[in-house]
Amino acid sequence: MDPNSQQSGNMEEVKIFDPSILPPCLDQIDLAYSDSDVLSENHCVNEDHRMPSDPEGLLDSADPTSEESNQPQEPSSTDMQKLDIDDDRPLCAGGSETDSGKASEDSALVDNGQDDSSEFVVTVLARGKMEEQGMGMKGASSPLCDTPLGPPSHRNEDVTAESWRQHRKHVFVLSEAGKPIYSRYGSEEALSSTMGVMMALVSFVQSGDNIIRSVYSDEHTVVFMQRGPLVLVSVSSSRQSEQQLRNELLYVYNQIVSMLTQASITRIFEHKKNYDLRRLLAGSEKILDGLLDLVDSDPSLLLCAVHCLPLASSLRDSLSQILQKAITPNLVFSILIAKNQLLTIVQEKMVIDDARLEPADLHLLLNLIGASSAFQAGEIWTPICLPSFNPDCYFYAYISYLDPPECTVCLVLLSTDKEAFYSVAECKRKIEEAMQAQNALNAISKAHSYSVSQVGVSDLRHFMYKPFDVPDNHRQLTQFTSPEMEAPYGSEEEQTRLLDLYRDMHSRIHSTSRPLKLIYHVAERETLLAWVTSKFELYTCFSPLVTKTCAINAITKLLRWIKKEEDRLFIRYPPKYSTTPNPSKSSRDGH
Amino acid sequence: MPQASRTKKPDVKVVILGDMNVGKTSLLHRYTERKFKDTISTVGGAFFLKQWGPYNISIWDTAGREQFHGLGSMYCRGAAAVILTYDVTNWQSLAELENRFLSLTDTANTDCIFAIVGNKADLTDTLAHGPDTESERGDEAQPEVPCPTPPGTPLQHKQVSREDAVALYARVLRYKGLEEKACLPAETVCFETSAKTGYNVDVLFETLFDLVLPSILKKRSEGESSTVDLETPMEVKRTKAGCCA
Repeated sequence: MDPNSQQSGNMEEVKIFDPSILPPCLDQIDLAYSDSDVLSENHCVNEDHRMPSDPEGLLDSADPTSEESNQPQEPSSTDMQKLDIDDDRPLCAGGSETDSGKASEDSALVDNGQDDSSEFVVTVLARGKMEEQGMGMKGASSPLCDTPLGPPSHRNEDVTAESWRQHRKHVFVLSEAGKPIYSRYGSEEALSSTMGVMMALVSFVQSGDNIIRSVYSDEHTVVFMQRGPLVLVSVSSSRQSEQQLRNELLYVYNQIVSMLTQASITRIFEHKKNYDLRRLLAGSEKILDGLLDLVDSDPSLLLCAVHCLPLASSLRDSLSQILQKAITPNLVFSILIAKNQLLTIVQEKMVIDDARLEPADLHLLLNLIGASSAFQAGEIWTPICLPSFNPDCYFYAYISYLDPPECTVCLVLLSTDKEAFYSVAECKRKIEEAMQAQNALNAISKAHSYSVSQVGVSDLRHFMYKPFDVPDNHRQLTQFTSPEMEAPYGSEEEQTRLLDLYRDMHSRIHSTSRPLKLIYHVAERETLLAWVTSKFELYTCFSPLVTKTCAINAITKLLRWIKKEEDRLFIRYPPKYSTTPNPSKSSRDGH
Repeated sequence: MPQASRTKKPDVKVVILGDMNVGKTSLLHRYTERKFKDTISTVGGAFFLKQWGPYNISIWDTAGREQFHGLGSMYCRGAAAVILTYDVTNWQSLAELENRFLSLTDTANTDCIFAIVGNKADLTDTLAHGPDTESERGDEAQPEVPCPTPPGTPLQHKQVSREDAVALYARVLRYKGLEEKACLPAETVCFETSAKTGYNVDVLFETLFDLVLPSILKKRSEGESSTVDLETPMEVKRTKAGCCA
């Protein structure tokens, strides 16, 4: 198939790109005008390394009608050819090859077509800004030059240095007035002029009744997202899809909301447009840093699902029962976590009827706990908002580790009563006592993630399986299961590479323009198969020499194994309790 | 088993307040863990129980960020002592105590003891470069000798003098409507500390614990607290209804 035809088909979406409209961190951007000649030329230049998002060429999709069968459709011979091409496709972590194929295919700089003249003005405007900024940045960063560079002190990074530009993914948060709120690398002060340019772009496009969504260059994707008075920008060379980057920005926004609530953010900026939100967020940078590290390393955020620690169902049930018995009025969620994975969660009956706890909220909560327990001996009591649940209200979270000093098992109790610390702390004592009586901590410490070899399918190296809501577990927390990443994915680089492959598969499965049901993808060092049905979403990774039949058989076996182990891998029936005062006096527990 | 939970019942409550980044968590960490480490900004408040002789002292380490002020009065309710902490190198942090934090103490006990603590003294004072001599525990974790001064770090300008802290103490008492003469003298409750070197940290906490002792004894003699004790009545019931055991 001819990529050019596809490109010209999408031509109306392609907007002018000029390097000067980008902040200076994005140098070396190829000019890509809405001119098919330039595009095809670009494509020729990049012929030797095909792009991941190249449509049609790299993947074959099963007929929707065959999706329920356990046999992925056999591809046609032409598809096989394309798969071959795919073989030498480089998709390395932090790969820096140009991505014009992608740019031409999905880029949409601006919602609704904008006429060329106004784009020209954007360009000119931004160019002027950029020059100004170049000066400003040097001046601002010079006092920082003497600070030593070290991986943990991202705040002190010299924002004029090449190493700063080389970061795989930058995330910026600014206020509508252009005031810096957060930058993943470098100090916000030093970046205030860069963020000024970003805001100029946003507001200029806005003045034409449009919304700037993204800018594509050869090496970078810039995604803009506005939420209330906040503007979030992702500048990424990770080659993730715009949708994925947008989703990550949403996590960042929601993490900020989880600390302040949406209502108070709106109120603050209504009151004072140029408020410096860092006043309220000071000290929370590490929470956002932690979140972005998680976004890059933990597939649960990509899949919007929760990873449970595999546990014998009898043990999980008895833990749930312990939580179920230790209640106090206004308690709404009791959550037990070990090694950053969910052990069990018990929810208030009324709450679960109203709305369910979203995995995204749980991720934010877990990240907050992980990134903020200053020292882990004490009991924390803090307001926290669960944005997907209710972005405007606080819960009060009681957080305590049950196994000091190791601090691997963490109890989180959420109440709606801000004065309830002492009664909630009393629940913890009850839980602690009951767990001691059953020697539960010891049992938990023996629980661990599983190895893919337990599945007993040769050639299968790794997988991620996410079952969807089916009637019997409706309103349940979306979960997924995945084995440990083992050799050859032992090193951090290899893990990142595998996750990148998964992300690429994920973006193609969930493409808004052309969603796929099934992808068989032969990569350089492995073969991947992604498959989505009405019942589950599955990503598998095989050794490179696996045949298609072999992979399909393996998946059948894998699904059978998961079915067998279901009770151990997932929380099957999340237990509930009732803590609202009611005639049955059930809140008087413990006897 | 209920034994264990009852012995943990706090006798008295101490609250640490102060602007963000003055070192509240570090002070407590130095005292309880005997070491200094880079802490992460506290969210909400952290609750600690400190066994002190036969007594249980509960300590609330609170977040300095404005964001968490909503909970301030809850942390302070019924407090026997409030540690108002500032940073000796930051005048604003002293001013904030008066502007933002003093009003949070309205829910504290009427006989609440106030301590004014200037932390980070090691940055301005060579004296503060060693832990205080009174630290009776053998803590090898600290670099005792004056070596903690990195060669390139000159002493910083001290923005808040001891006199300023003493003056604040007088204003705190006035705010509370207390007679200065009837209260503890400023020299007893104004401290300059360094969580980094350990200077004066033990002195601060041990002095305060000594000072709240009368409050503990009073509470014990009164027997009744304003909070409902869920455990005592249950105990009574259990003995009465011995049949169901």
